[in-house]
Amino acid sequence: MPTEAEAQHANVRNKGIFNNMTGFSTLITVTVLLLAWLAGFASRLFAVIRFESIIHEFDPWFNYRSTAYMVQHGFYNFLNWFDERAWYPLGRIVGGTVYPGLMITSGTIHWILHTLNIPVHIRDICVFLAPVFSGLTAIATYLLTSELWSRGAGLFAACFIAIIPGYSSRSVAGSYDNEGIAIFALQFTYYLWLKSIKSGSVFWSICTALSYFYMVSAWGGYVFIINLIPLHVFVLLIMGRFSQRLFVSYTVFYIIGLLLSMQIPFVGFQPIRTSEHMAASGVFALLMAIGALKYLHSLNPKRQWKQLLILGGLVAAGTVFLAVVLLTYMGVIAPWSGRFYSLWDTGYAKIHIPIIASVSEHQPTTWSSFFFDLHVLVCTFPVGLWYCIKNVNDERVFVALYAISAVYFAGVMVRLMLTLTPVVCVLAGIAFSILLDLVLKEDEMQIAPVETEDSKNLYDKAGKLKKRTHEPAPVDSGLGMNVRSGTLIAFMILLMLFSVHCTWATSNAYSSPSIVLASYGNDGSRKILDDFREAYGWLSQNTAEDARIMSWWDYGYQIAGMGNRTTLVDNNTWNNSHIALVGKAMASNESAAYDIMTMLDVDYVLVIFGGAIGYSGDDINKFIWMVRIAEGEHPKDIHEADYFTERGEYRIDSEASKTMLNCLMYKLSYYRYDSGGSPAGYDRTRGSLPGNRGFQLTYLEEAYTTEHWLVRIYRVKKPDEFNRPRLPLSKRKIVTSNNLSKKTSKRRKGLIKNKPTLVKGKKVTKLE
Amino acid sequence: MKYKTLLCLTVILTYFNINAQSRAKGLEEKVQQLTDMTSKQSIIPLNFNKFKEYVKSPPRDYSFIVMFTAMAPSRRCTICQHVYDEYLVVANSFRISPSFSDKLFFGMVDFDEGSDVFQMLRLNTAPVIMHFPAKGKPKPADSMDFERAGIHAEAIIKWIQDRTDIPIRIFRPPNYSGVIAFAMLFVLVAGFLYLRRNNLEFLYNKQMWAAIAVVFCFAMVSGQMWNQIRGPPFFHRTKNGPVYINGGSHGQFVLESYIVAILNGAVVVGMILMIEAAGGVKGTDINRAQDGKRRRFQSVVGLVLVCVFFSLLLSVFRAKTQGYPYR
Repeated sequence: MPTEAEAQHANVRNKGIFNNMTGFSTLITVTVLLLAWLAGFASRLFAVIRFESIIHEFDPWFNYRSTAYMVQHGFYNFLNWFDERAWYPLGRIVGGTVYPGLMITSGTIHWILHTLNIPVHIRDICVFLAPVFSGLTAIATYLLTSELWSRGAGLFAACFIAIIPGYSSRSVAGSYDNEGIAIFALQFTYYLWLKSIKSGSVFWSICTALSYFYMVSAWGGYVFIINLIPLHVFVLLIMGRFSQRLFVSYTVFYIIGLLLSMQIPFVGFQPIRTSEHMAASGVFALLMAIGALKYLHSLNPKRQWKQLLILGGLVAAGTVFLAVVLLTYMGVIAPWSGRFYSLWDTGYAKIHIPIIASVSEHQPTTWSSFFFDLHVLVCTFPVGLWYCIKNVNDERVFVALYAISAVYFAGVMVRLMLTLTPVVCVLAGIAFSILLDLVLKEDEMQIAPVETEDSKNLYDKAGKLKKRTHEPAPVDSGLGMNVRSGTLIAFMILLMLFSVHCTWATSNAYSSPSIVLASYGNDGSRKILDDFREAYGWLSQNTAEDARIMSWWDYGYQIAGMGNRTTLVDNNTWNNSHIALVGKAMASNESAAYDIMTMLDVDYVLVIFGGAIGYSGDDINKFIWMVRIAEGEHPKDIHEADYFTERGEYRIDSEASKTMLNCLMYKLSYYRYDSGGSPAGYDRTRGSLPGNRGFQLTYLEEAYTTEHWLVRIYRVKKPDEFNRPRLPLSKRKIVTSNNLSKKTSKRRKGLIKNKPTLVKGKKVTKLE
Repeated sequence: MKYKTLLCLTVILTYFNINAQSRAKGLEEKVQQLTDMTSKQSIIPLNFNKFKEYVKSPPRDYSFIVMFTAMAPSRRCTICQHVYDEYLVVANSFRISPSFSDKLFFGMVDFDEGSDVFQMLRLNTAPVIMHFPAKGKPKPADSMDFERAGIHAEAIIKWIQDRTDIPIRIFRPPNYSGVIAFAMLFVLVAGFLYLRRNNLEFLYNKQMWAAIAVVFCFAMVSGQMWNQIRGPPFFHRTKNGPVYINGGSHGQFVLESYIVAILNGAVVVGMILMIEAAGGVKGTDINRAQDGKRRRFQSVVGLVLVCVFFSLLLSVFRAKTQGYPYR
């Protein structure tokens, strides 16, 4: 990675000398971007090299499964796909509840390659899609930053985003998820938006809308775009920067973007029916009103009209706002959904939606995770922001708003670090570019006038100050060689540190498939724990085709994807009450759980148990969330307090509460457990000896346990299997009165009772 | 002999009869009194005698929720006031809710009026909310756990429903304070703008806006939002002196986040100094008049700021992150 940093500086250095040689600078630009692409691609391959080409984690498994379905059955069948393997007995209409952009993208690549007779398996396309798109993101970031500042800053930003951990966390090879392609779409949309607002041409606006359409089809985060662009327009209006360009670009973008976004089945009529999208409509109406007022003003440009204009604008804004509020009260527009509302009212999710609060990605962000994901950029991007605001123009207003909103959202939720990362790269690229540009260029002060050509395009107010740049610099005002080289070396070291940190973070924190685990022995030898796939493979080979598997929702997609069996709940957590029912079954005692399980037709139960190898992400550690979610729906039967000790501790040893020791999850985890070091049955994850051991299961039987006890599968017994009283062998003989030997005259074979005896020549008497 | 037994029996029977009658009467009377008191005041203030009479003594068919608190300002119990507010909301909601009955009453014991009660129940903390069931003695779960459930009225009614099966729908008096504060702020800003209407130049001061934006970024990046949501301690006191930096990467102290914000700020200031010394961005005013010496000095100061504070930041981060191999 230092390579591209070198090339980077070479570019900056040479820019002065070879400025007239556009070909040369284009060559450098292309080279740097290609290297950035390559570096970004390469740094995302740790998982593939260490393990294999495999789909990671949870959600990617669903995406992969539906992509495979689409490739096999065609796009229209995919849109109409009703998946009866999920959410038993409800099923899921996949085509209408999914953002299809990801599947279409990889399906298209697959189709193109196969048309060219290159036989690549769809799985490999899915695995490598995100790293390839990271290169495209780098290019989009380059374009965006060049629009904002300069090409040098663009190259810096492209190199940053190629390797930054905040972005590679979601785009390593195998992490086949919406975010991987969505960040590219996000950056590209913003680039096109800036382009269109600069030029005011319909062409660029339509391109923006098309790119926005791709974003809508790819990720639910499109809401960020459809709120940020109107915010930009609104702030420009407040700043009095209304222009014809703004009017054309926003109205065209809004109309076409709205129509296109409604074509996605999952989005449907949301853009005109929900509060999340109302900012866009409101700004559209406001812009129309202001446009009309401006037109009136242009007819009669007198002084008193100007105040009328401002007043009219204010009235229009108030009217639009009141209209939206009124429509919301009347129920025409749905209010903010819980997921978005929890971004503003940070305590909301914890009280009302435990299922959102339970996901670790939805926690607020500490400073150390900011630093971990952004490293040196976290303390340099404010410099870029500072200069963007000081030299403000239409585009830089946009990037400032982008930075401020994204940094707020990232502070509220770890997951939204992803939207912050691109803007941090852009602004830090600008900061580094300004500094190194100045430090490296001092000797060529005399040819400064050449630079003003750029500045004329880039800055609104360049005309005022142009004279100054023409003035030759005084000779003694130079910084001097020592200072400049010192600065240069210090910043080279900073960049080196950054690239080393990025590689380390990507390799250590974000490149684990979490389906295959690795443990390291004392001598550094590596041991692969492949328990998950072992268990799912067992399920697919040894259970009936239509067997229903109950597990906590985290594993739903994996069971469906690898085991190919029906699941009750999965990672698409749309039905809270169903999840709560599963949670209740896990939290109840065995007989109560059996009632729920028979009600849900469960055949097998799958639990993850990490006690033997010290795997902390297992079901016992997640269990308290199951209890909470179950309590939310069934407050009569489940009480969270019952699962804690008297002192409010969460324990599993002999101190633990009775409810805890007898609930289904506990029993399934510790049934027959005797591994985990000395003493046998020691739980390494919790660091204690389980309190309830050596018990028997009545309603379930162990079906399979993987090598390291990580996955345990139990079969639910049928009623006839446990209701029978068990008889000792001696009593199993059916006691029969030995009538066979008792050959009385009446009990011979073929005897009919009261058989009339026939006497020849006599009439048969009727049987009574 | 026979008669004697009969007499005895009669006497006993009569006694029990009378006893039962008086008891029943007492119960009705008590419920009547309590209902009267509740209609006057939704939370019944109790002292030792009243507590014994209504809560402790046996003829009862009603549940009693009692809050033990210390409201006197001299006790300096700030949380008591919060809990009291929420508790009052619950008690008022119960009075107007459809499930209102004489099976549940709300009471309150202040430490300064009923310290005997505290002694009797061996309470040494306040506030405590306890439930005295109609039958039997209070179990450990009958005192509410604020730490886990929180002190919100919603949590209290959930706990009450848990203990007594009486559902209460919360009815809060609409909270206008937020609206009023917002309106006040709006009026202040508008008034300020109106007063300065001839001199609105400061609104166009880019430096101010830039400073506001950058400070906001520092606040967010140093995890103030996390502090806001999680409410960590300011710093940690141990036997070996105060600890300012949380050892784990999943936690932080308030002071720590301030330190980090300052470190970040120093790096940014250093970098801006360097840029300004090197001539500033085209378009901003360049101080050509400055002589080279001063610019060199400024540049070196900036460089030192960047290097020192960034390495400090890195070392703090390294202390928090186990297994981080780089300095």
